[in-house]
Amino acid sequence: MEDKNLVQFQNVSFRYESAEGEEQNPFAVKNISFDIKQGDCIAVLGHNGSGKSTLAKLSNSILIPTEGKVLVDGMDTADESKSYDIRKTVGVVFQNPDNQIVASVVEEDVAFGPENLGLPREEIRKRVDDSLKAVGMYDYRFSEPHKLSGGQKQRVAIAGIIAMLPKCIFFDEPTAMLDPQGRKEVMKTIFKLNRELGITVVYITHFMEEAALARKVIVMDNAEILLTGTPKEVFSNAELLRDRGLDIPKISSLSRELKREGIDIDGNILDTAEFVDRISQLLGDK
Amino acid sequence: MIKDITIGQYFPGNSVIHRLDPRVKILLVFAYIVAVFLCKNFYSLGLMILLLTVIILLSGISLKLIYKSIKPIFIIVLITSLLQLIYNKNGDVLFEYWKIRITTGGVFTAIFTTVRIAALVAASSMLTYTTSPTMLTDAIERLFSPLKVFKINVHSIAMMMTIALRFIPTLIDEVDKIMAAQKSRGADLESGNIVDRGKALVPIFIPLFINSFRRAYELAFAMECRCYQGGEGRTRLKVMKVHARDFVAIFIMALVIAGIIVLNHFFAAVI
Amino acid sequence: MALLETQNLTYAYSRGTPFEVTAVDDVSISIEKGDFIGIIGHTGSGKSTLVQHLNGILKPTSGKILFNGEDIHSSKEFTRSIRFKVGLCFQYPEYQLFESTVFDDIAYGPKNMGLDKAQVEEHVLKACEFVGIKTELLKKSPFDLSGGEKRRVAIAGVMAMEPEILILDEPTAGLDPKGREKIEKMINEYRNVTNNTVIIVSHSMDDVAKNASKVLVMNKGRVEFFTGVGEVFSNIERLSEIGLDVPSITQVFLELKKRGYNVRTDIYSVKKAKEELLRLFGERGVI
Repeated sequence: MEDKNLVQFQNVSFRYESAEGEEQNPFAVKNISFDIKQGDCIAVLGHNGSGKSTLAKLSNSILIPTEGKVLVDGMDTADESKSYDIRKTVGVVFQNPDNQIVASVVEEDVAFGPENLGLPREEIRKRVDDSLKAVGMYDYRFSEPHKLSGGQKQRVAIAGIIAMLPKCIFFDEPTAMLDPQGRKEVMKTIFKLNRELGITVVYITHFMEEAALARKVIVMDNAEILLTGTPKEVFSNAELLRDRGLDIPKISSLSRELKREGIDIDGNILDTAEFVDRISQLLGDK
Repeated sequence: MIKDITIGQYFPGNSVIHRLDPRVKILLVFAYIVAVFLCKNFYSLGLMILLLTVIILLSGISLKLIYKSIKPIFIIVLITSLLQLIYNKNGDVLFEYWKIRITTGGVFTAIFTTVRIAALVAASSMLTYTTSPTMLTDAIERLFSPLKVFKINVHSIAMMMTIALRFIPTLIDEVDKIMAAQKSRGADLESGNIVDRGKALVPIFIPLFINSFRRAYELAFAMECRCYQGGEGRTRLKVMKVHARDFVAIFIMALVIAGIIVLNHFFAAVI
Repeated sequence: MALLETQNLTYAYSRGTPFEVTAVDDVSISIEKGDFIGIIGHTGSGKSTLVQHLNGILKPTSGKILFNGEDIHSSKEFTRSIRFKVGLCFQYPEYQLFESTVFDDIAYGPKNMGLDKAQVEEHVLKACEFVGIKTELLKKSPFDLSGGEKRRVAIAGVMAMEPEILILDEPTAGLDPKGREKIEKMINEYRNVTNNTVIIVSHSMDDVAKNASKVLVMNKGRVEFFTGVGEVFSNIERLSEIGLDVPSITQVFLELKKRGYNVRTDIYSVKKAKEELLRLFGERGVI
């Protein structure tokens, strides 16, 4: 089960259609191939305009590849008759929580997806309650969305997706518009879904610190995949990343600098606790 | 501030009024409005006010909120009462100056119209205050579903209303923000003649429209991602069922309307 | 005399309703010419409400705001003239663009000031230079620009009024690292060239520490600190107590201190961190 490919991008290219008579738009993504396995936790890193947000829309047949194929659980996203099943399998959470909440009461919004699936009432009720509990918003089920904080709204939007019981969720810069508090809440929720509910998660971000927490990182640059690997592998390419205007997490930067000074330390540490542990180990007793 | 507008606001609660079937509630508010127009004198109007007071007390909605709902139409009320005061020449003359003559008839009708309009607005706001927007649009969808015969897509209309209600507060916030931002660049929204003022609104409405289109575009994607395919095959979290309390409410309303007809008959008409 | 001063500034939203909230509570600060101030606080701390008072958009419930010693609400005309002296650029300012060309949008503020055509053009071109918008973009529609460019055009729209105080509410929100860096650089340059007062509102200490000379920390509508950057860092524990983000590098030193090592905690850059750690290693003879 672990190794089953849930979503497969096979030589995918995509360009947005240009207006008639104008020259063709450049490719938003170009010749991209990668597999998402069941249970994966992947971060997609890159600049605005690097094509990373297009990936999310390609994953559940909102957009269809210009060239190549995207397979979801073996279903081709270009096959229109499958789009319903594909969207049930792969959910997408967008950047602006305000623009994905449909109803004026939290629980009614979460029910929107299951209602569209035509589920019986008892089942909808159960899914709504379970989803709101999973994102920690059950106490707010009767609230009006516009009175919630950004982080809370985004968690409601996430609940709206998980109520459809998808196997995989793409998060398109879910924290870009949030304050640090909201960012933490949402990232915590994403990891909880992955670890406790076994949902495959792919999140797109331009915060290095968030990318460092994933199991696998894909770096996009100029519509193509630049690097892929574990966070440590990816961030060890500091020069290449900096050259493309991407940074590496500060802790990683610091450990590299120390290593260069001859300190006996792994030059790719990403975690504050791990770094502090190593430093105090080196320093010995107080 | 624009933020003080209460249209479409819902105040969650668990009172009898909140729990009435929204379809019944819509019909009752409609009946209430008709009944208020039937009133011909202060006794029958008084009965309607009494009914409204009981409803407000039962709902637990604060009087301040009721006042807030009436406030925006204050100007309209003021103008109509002034017209009544000036043009109604019935009854004894209370005050005369140049061509203006104010009579008891004028005073009575002015008061009568004011109370009547206030009652209408308060009753309709009670509907939105105590019914969640989704329930309200659901109810409208069900009440009007017979229109499907005429090829009218009732579901789409109801869905549009749901979304409109959901986005009213968001857009109000947005207008506030854009106004503050343009004022910070020296926009003058308060002075000048009508043409100037109209021009001054351009920097507010263009960004508002553009942002709304962007929102609509994103919302459409989000709805597709949640498998929205129109009304076909949709089920509902909340089902509507008519309970005993709904019949009681209908019965009371019928009784009140009967009461009005009787009161109209026995007491002299003011209007 | 301070350039801009608030005296016991208090502001309550939705007064007289059950939803009344005191967003700014008894704030008295003074801002001098040439100051570079970072205002930080989490959402709802009152920081955005506070800055909207500084250019007279919001009127205080009680208290006063003085510009060069004069109450900014002393007359309607004076309040309006303050908007041009204290330029305020809101969060996500690109959502307020409206003109058909970039030039006209940037010119909106200067035109409202009543400047003549030549002056307007001069102001616009100068602002474009600060934000790095090339002249060939001026004829384009602002809606055809990239996200980062739109943001810079919007900021130019405020700079073009040539205010004595420039306030930017979260100028880098939602941008990628490249975009953030560009904006930061541009603000620094603007300040170096004009020597005008600049105020930046932000959620995080990280943004502010690098550039600002003074930091105003807001918490629950009140001023928690208003001091130099260094002093704020010496109270860094308090910052994390009130729910503010502590830079990741600073966190390392806080943790080391907690473990009993004698380290400074006012460190937020990789360079300083390296120096301090090397000092520590040297002291203990590890290297």
